[in-house]
Amino acid sequence: MDEKTIALEEIRKTVTGNPVVLYMKGTPQFPQCGFSGRAAQVLKACGVEKYVAVNVLEDKGAYDYLKFYADFPTFPQCYINGELVGGSDIMLDLYQQGELQKLIAGATV
Amino acid sequence: MKVTPQNVKEYILQGLECEHVEVEGDGRHFDAVIVSKAFEGKGMLQQQRLVFQILGDKMDIIHALSMKTFTPQQWAEQA
Repeated sequence: MDEKTIALEEIRKTVTGNPVVLYMKGTPQFPQCGFSGRAAQVLKACGVEKYVAVNVLEDKGAYDYLKFYADFPTFPQCYINGELVGGSDIMLDLYQQGELQKLIAGATV
Repeated sequence: MKVTPQNVKEYILQGLECEHVEVEGDGRHFDAVIVSKAFEGKGMLQQQRLVFQILGDKMDIIHALSMKTFTPQQWAEQA
């Protein structure tokens, strides 16, 4: 299998195996990009205790191929129940409408 | 190659008929407000995918683009 297939399979397993996943640059404690930091803040504001944060700066497969998984080219990317919710702007918008909280509450997997 | 907000605005307008486009940015991170009829009937994610498809490989030099997308009606309502 080629690099891309392996990476996409890895992503599929991660997003479908965990209720809430955030692909970001850096970590929630030490974000390396403004938008990634904003995304982590939104999840914190939603009171999400534990979620999987993937630091794409340390995961070449995710860095190179995540954009092909859900046809979305930028970071961060938040997945709930295996579905792409969006980047930090959509997350913030949904949070302000109270919708993100509902999505997270319904995240079972 | 340094990308300016004006560049990003032109790239968007090249492929998307818009009623209104505003772009701010520091050369790496950009924030855009985009109002277009093409967004009608689409969710936020689909609207953004449309813009990303239009920007295509320019996304390699834009790095990070955050967007607020509106249909003309939504824009009028919130103005």
